[in-house]
Amino acid sequence: MTDFDLASLITFIPAILRVTTPILLAALGVLISERAGVLNIGVEGMMLTGAFAGVVVSAATGSASLGFLAALIAGGLLGALLSFAVHVLKSDLILSGIALNMAAAAGTTLLLFMLTGDKGMSGSLSSKVLPHLTVPVIAGIPVLGTLLSGHHILTYAAFLAVPGVGLFLMRTPMGLRLRAVGENPESAAIAGINVRRVQIGALVTSGVFAGAAGAFLSMGYVSWFSQNMSAGRGFIALAAEVMGHGSASGTMFASLLLGLAEAASIALQGAGLPSELMQTVPYLVPVIALVVHARRRQRQLARA
Amino acid sequence: MIRSAFASFVITAVLLVLVVGIVLVPIALSLPDPLAVLDTFVFGPFRNPRHTGNIVEMATPAMMCGLAVAVMFRAGMFNLGVEGAFFLGGLATVATVLLVPLPAFAMAPVGILVGAVVGSSVCAVPGYLRARYEASELVSSLMLNFAALFIGLFVVNYFLRDPAAGAMVSFRIPAEAKLPKLIAGTRIHLGTLVALAACGLGAVYLFMSRAGFEARIVGSNPSFAAHLGLPIRSILLRSQVIGGLIAAGAGGIEMLGLYQRFSWQSLPGNGWTGVVVAILARDNPILLIPAALFLSYLQVGGDLIARNFDVPSEAVGLIQALVLVVVTAQAIMRNPRLIRLVTGKKPAAGQAQDTKAVEGSVA
Repeated sequence: MTDFDLASLITFIPAILRVTTPILLAALGVLISERAGVLNIGVEGMMLTGAFAGVVVSAATGSASLGFLAALIAGGLLGALLSFAVHVLKSDLILSGIALNMAAAAGTTLLLFMLTGDKGMSGSLSSKVLPHLTVPVIAGIPVLGTLLSGHHILTYAAFLAVPGVGLFLMRTPMGLRLRAVGENPESAAIAGINVRRVQIGALVTSGVFAGAAGAFLSMGYVSWFSQNMSAGRGFIALAAEVMGHGSASGTMFASLLLGLAEAASIALQGAGLPSELMQTVPYLVPVIALVVHARRRQRQLARA
Repeated sequence: MIRSAFASFVITAVLLVLVVGIVLVPIALSLPDPLAVLDTFVFGPFRNPRHTGNIVEMATPAMMCGLAVAVMFRAGMFNLGVEGAFFLGGLATVATVLLVPLPAFAMAPVGILVGAVVGSSVCAVPGYLRARYEASELVSSLMLNFAALFIGLFVVNYFLRDPAAGAMVSFRIPAEAKLPKLIAGTRIHLGTLVALAACGLGAVYLFMSRAGFEARIVGSNPSFAAHLGLPIRSILLRSQVIGGLIAAGAGGIEMLGLYQRFSWQSLPGNGWTGVVVAILARDNPILLIPAALFLSYLQVGGDLIARNFDVPSEAVGLIQALVLVVVTAQAIMRNPRLIRLVTGKKPAAGQAQDTKAVEGSVA
């Protein structure tokens, strides 16, 4: 690992951005739900379903865009389903999210088997992938070209969504209402805000983000669907949101840190270190970061 | 009170039948012989003593994982480390009996004890981080589940792996370490008695001991607990350590009871089943026993239709998920009309409820 010079560091950055993309997209979804007071634990299952819908619909229609659209719709529908469980059936939020994850893992496997006769992988489906974008002019510049050009379209979308979500939450009337609901639902209701409608909207939007994250997994990161391919990334996104102090930019930096951990673990596996131990890194970093974050908050509270 | 408990029981039972039907009937209809599928699912587990035995075998870890979840949920902790604790407990137990020279009689008890202590870390660490730093036990336990998985696979690959076996599995578990079988013709083992005893002890702990009472106060009303001056942090930590020990011990018992080698390549899912069992049993240790038996019955039925018809057993996962939602659904379980329909009487207004508001349940 000593020959890690600047040039190889720069080529490492696209790898970081690649693994950060699904975490960031899902974490933005978690952020919106959390600020509305309905933490979306089901993001893991929504991602998995999005990945599945993208592969199946793009294979059936031959269109990557339609597959992507299907992934977004699938995520949004699951968001609506979760809010149905929470708002209509009055089930527990966290447990319903866990149930959603279980149902998504079982349901995608079941449907995959019914469609292809295979439980594990969608190899027999000729699904499409979403493109990588080359930014004109910048692509030709040496270092900047590697950093800014040639990434997957959803990588750009994820990073562009960060200011979008941030501005929405902090600078629009609807974002203000959403935060008010999350902060204190009773007061928000007294102020005339329809709490339930805001929370339903937040969960559906959260699901759409998770669906996009799933589409990246099966239509970008790889070009197929496999059983449980989200592999805990939804939970990592949950950690990223908590680490991000509830802000869009904080969530982005947390996602990048966790993406760096995952990319490093992949690179170090290639360098001959025990791959199993390296695979723990992306799961241990959030725990450490949570403790650091919690300690700082405790100290702030102690000072106040 | 008895009437409302009865109503809750009846509503739950009807819901369970509905849920099973909602998942199973469409799947059965998609196959050539729907009636045979339903027949195999519903009655198949009782046609053969070996399959009936499977129900009891599967209920054993489900009871203990459910107990672990119930102990932690009762203290108000959404600790989901049961899955990882079960996995790591099983691994550490196998590692102990394989690597540590022990006299034959001590192998199983020492192995399970070491497994319980090592595996409990997956629940105890998030518990400590919550008690000490107020870091969300929900998120950190979810993360540590995966960390436990990969650490476990590392240990298997580098220290326990049998090169003669084709797959990445451990050496054979020595016969002296295995738990004795109880009933000929089935694989029901001593662990089932341990699990039943654990549920009994769990009930004593939660409902008849001072420690359990304190934990329930902290869980149901933290500000009241603070007002009483209870040592909340140590109560939270204690609950999660106990939960972790039970879940990890269950993993060790499962390995020594049913397995020839350590062969898990991914998280086995028993912890999540434990969550469903605990919720179905309303976190009551005695009710865990029927809840675990019921869910295992569904699993055996699902496995049977998977074996005999062209359908994956994952259908049972869908049933479990639906069970989790509907039995926590206040709109159904506390629906005054439904309760009146069952009891034939108006329910007493303003019953003490442990309902969690949507906003309140976010840890």
